[in-house]
Amino acid sequence: MNGNDAAPATAELRTLVEGIEGRIDDWAAATTRWLNDAGKLSGSAIDKFVRPTVSDMLLAPGSNVTGAGFIASAGLLGPDRSYIAWWQGEDLERVDALANFSPQSMSRYVGAEWFKVPVATRRPHVTGPYIDLLCTDEYVLTFTHPVFRGDAVAGIVGLDVTAQTLERRALPLLRRIGPRAALVSAGGRTIVCAAPDVDAGDVIGPAEGAAATPIGRSFTLLAAAAVA
Amino acid sequence: MSLSPLGASRSLAAVFLPIKSGGLVDEVCRRIELAVETGLLTSGQRLPNEIELAGALGVSAVTTREALSQLRGQGLIRTVRGRSGGSFIADDALPSPERARARLLDLTRLQISDLGLHWRAIAATCAGVAARRSDAADIASLRGYIRPAAGDGQGATALAWRLSASEFMLEVAAVARSARLAREILRLQADMGTLTLLPFGDPAFCEHIAELSEAVTAAIESHDSGAAEARTRELIQTTTNWLLAEHAAGQAHTPGTTEEEAS
Repeated sequence: MNGNDAAPATAELRTLVEGIEGRIDDWAAATTRWLNDAGKLSGSAIDKFVRPTVSDMLLAPGSNVTGAGFIASAGLLGPDRSYIAWWQGEDLERVDALANFSPQSMSRYVGAEWFKVPVATRRPHVTGPYIDLLCTDEYVLTFTHPVFRGDAVAGIVGLDVTAQTLERRALPLLRRIGPRAALVSAGGRTIVCAAPDVDAGDVIGPAEGAAATPIGRSFTLLAAAAVA
Repeated sequence: MSLSPLGASRSLAAVFLPIKSGGLVDEVCRRIELAVETGLLTSGQRLPNEIELAGALGVSAVTTREALSQLRGQGLIRTVRGRSGGSFIADDALPSPERARARLLDLTRLQISDLGLHWRAIAATCAGVAARRSDAADIASLRGYIRPAAGDGQGATALAWRLSASEFMLEVAAVARSARLAREILRLQADMGTLTLLPFGDPAFCEHIAELSEAVTAAIESHDSGAAEARTRELIQTTTNWLLAEHAAGQAHTPGTTEEEAS
């Protein structure tokens, strides 16, 4: 609406998204360093390393993160065995610890987009927004990043940000950019839109002539949304 | 102008309900029972020891010891002493059709049809919204749950059929992208518990459910909300009808209960 206000609002939106991406990049780098220095690995050694970082992220005032953790590739702790060290919420509730003892349950994690894609591409990835039925039962975006031991992918670190949190943070910024401004995922799904007739999860495209600006590694800011 | 006194006092009373002291032990037991019911933990599988389990679940070792002893009492796990010892899921811990049948006959017809109505309302709404929001990847993942993975469903067990049918409904909720509806589907599936194991022992029923699931998927794919809702209602009604028929037949064969009570 207001050209003077759109530019700073866009910059703030970029800071928000790049802040989340930067956090996962730093954490992945620290985890990779630790994995290469650590000797023989065990589940409890992994817990001891991962939990304090997760705790800091979940309990930080005004935290954007609802859940975070580490998932091992098969082979890191033993043949055909994975390991999940993931916590969520203010009470640091441990997610699905029984999965660490159940190969069937583990295959669900290993087959999930947020694990499979970063392991295959060796690149960070954002999944969603999607309904996370494995952990939070919420509508979330999951940011994941591969970690390495030597040259091999040892697993992933990841964090969940709810669509609700992004709505709270991004909606005021989008309103300053335009009445139909929208932040969309790589798949063209709405994360947040200033227009009340577009819900998170709706597939949308830019209105005719509206600008599409990349935000962070995979999101796009549409100056005005048209329902696809 | 004010709240109904009954409503207000009832909600207030709920605040001061005693908190069950045995709650944590029951919760640990329930988790393990649920994992066995859904096939996540299988017969012969070793459970973590008390200390590991306590750490994993965030409860005290005393709580896990008590929970393990309760599960042992139920025959769900067996404990072996010694060097290679530990607690294992019992060999006959598979969800049993006999227990499911006993549970079905224990219910009233009213409970079964009411549960069916609730389930149908939630599932049909999910399907209608899913039809608006689906993309090609969603359809591919829905198709993956129409039949059990192994051998195109040929010779798949009732357990495998039930698992893929519940995953299918959950996936419909996921495609709808509503957290509340997805949680409601999870809760309803927990309420149905082992009951839904029964119809999947019948190959004709399995085939019928697979066909209806295909029709639901096709409607979601073509963004036809009305058809998606209608086909889903049919899908749920098929299960409810099966359970009601089985219930009627079972009670007819249990000699003496209804007639004697009536006299």
